[in-house]
Amino acid sequence: MAGREEIVSVTELVKEFRVGLRARRKRVLHGITFGVREGEIFGFVGPNGAGKTTTLKILMGLIFATSGSARVLGHDVTETAFRRQIGFLPENPYFYDYLTGREILRFYARLSGLSGGRIDARVATLLEWVGLVHAADARLRTYSKGMLQRIGIAQALVHDPKVVFLDEPMSGLDPIGRKEIRDLVLRLQADGKTVFMNTHILSDVEAVCDRVAIIVQGRIRYEGGTHDFLDAGERACDVALRGVPAELAQRLEDAGLGLRGVGDRVELRVPEKQVGEVLGAALAAGAEVVSVNPHRRSLEEIFLSAVEAGAEGKGAA
Amino acid sequence: MSALVRIGTIAANTVREAIRHRVLYTLLFFSILLIGTGVLLSTLSYVERDRILQNVGFAAIRLFGVAIAIFVGIGLIHREVDRRTIYTILSKPLSRSEFLLGKYVGLVATLWLQLGIMSAAFLGFSALAGAAVNGGHAAALVLVGVELALVVAVATLFSAFTTPMLASLFATGIVAIGHLSRDLRELGLQSQIDAVRWVTTALHRVLPDLRSFDLGTQAVHALPVTAADVVFPLLYAAGYVTVLLVAAAWIFERRDFR
Repeated sequence: MAGREEIVSVTELVKEFRVGLRARRKRVLHGITFGVREGEIFGFVGPNGAGKTTTLKILMGLIFATSGSARVLGHDVTETAFRRQIGFLPENPYFYDYLTGREILRFYARLSGLSGGRIDARVATLLEWVGLVHAADARLRTYSKGMLQRIGIAQALVHDPKVVFLDEPMSGLDPIGRKEIRDLVLRLQADGKTVFMNTHILSDVEAVCDRVAIIVQGRIRYEGGTHDFLDAGERACDVALRGVPAELAQRLEDAGLGLRGVGDRVELRVPEKQVGEVLGAALAAGAEVVSVNPHRRSLEEIFLSAVEAGAEGKGAA
Repeated sequence: MSALVRIGTIAANTVREAIRHRVLYTLLFFSILLIGTGVLLSTLSYVERDRILQNVGFAAIRLFGVAIAIFVGIGLIHREVDRRTIYTILSKPLSRSEFLLGKYVGLVATLWLQLGIMSAAFLGFSALAGAAVNGGHAAALVLVGVELALVVAVATLFSAFTTPMLASLFATGIVAIGHLSRDLRELGLQSQIDAVRWVTTALHRVLPDLRSFDLGTQAVHALPVTAADVVFPLLYAAGYVTVLLVAAAWIFERRDFR
């Protein structure tokens, strides 16, 4: 993936809004820089208010950057014509609810420059692709949230774009709906599309994203491979012991290895380099080793540490 | 060509959306009711019954036409932003100016449709009452349509950058002044103070002169209507609408959709 062309490039992007009667400047993006490579699913992750949607709106030309550069497929995002090559699903999308699923896709197809028989063929393909053939001629006001997300993805794909931008595509969906959208995202990648996904649902990021950027308070805290990210930091093992004598328990506590447990079974998280030493001490003291499992930091833990670092005003992770 | 298709697509959908407005049908109902009331009012007079009927008819058409133009027109763009439908639309290869122009064309088409219905009611009531109708009436109704196109352009300009409430206030104010600007200039010219003459003349030039589009009196009194009476207001409106839409597009192109 590393050798692939970077098709979304954001460089030193700054956005300030004017707020209040005195039009005070409020900076929401502090010179962010990141890139998305061709063919990957890129997760843009951050807590609410971090600047994810602001960044995406700049990329879609809905708002304008105060300074810095944002380019998609080599084009400045304020241009119009290149949008034939991008698709966009906003957060909680709203469509003209007096139109049917088929009519709304025809509407977007015409706006995207498709004409004549190509429109009907493309609309039929997409309705099948997102599993809405049965509801194609029902008005959108009768659609469930999951169906609206799917018609939203279909409109984003109606002109067969190269890059698809999704803003919180799984937000507010039930587990089945989330699974459906996750599967659609993976199918997009299998079809050769690049996917940029704004989200704060970390399990979805872990499940589908190749790379992530974490944004906290308008600053990028991490950018890199999802699994590099998960493997980052000090490695540790979760050790479960039974029949630990009080003296050993005290020694482990004194060593800063917090013990948790009920009855005679305790668990402790041990840095990888100390595992041998702890196990040796436990066996020597007559304790039984129940299990030793390598501990993998969850995306959530790393995300929270990035958020905390942001709150404390520390540098980038 | 493709720009025309995109503008046409937005316009067609705007018509489809606008004709769903209940307020539009309410205003249309009352406009036809008022046109019909002209028949009743004309019976109160022994003379000039036809003129009373048709004066009331023209007044009703203009009043309700302008009301529809402002109250439906103002909300059309705001709703797109408020409901965020504009996000997916502008993510397509469509410029903001094309979107704005499409909304404008769609609303003008809707208004002309309404004007057609009101005109049919007007002609129907005139025929029922035996009031004569001539080419002057047709010219007057065409100019009402042109005036409405200009009012929609005013509404579009304000809706490009402000809230529906403020936009409707501004647009209503401009329309009211537009009907008075000619009188304002005449009054000013009688002043002995140069500054007053200069200001009232300048205001008349800057603000729309909506009286230019009123051929109702000539039509009702069967006075001759020349080609110039129609062509000059048409050219004036075309120029004014162009300036307003260019200004609206300039603002709209620079707006953040937060």
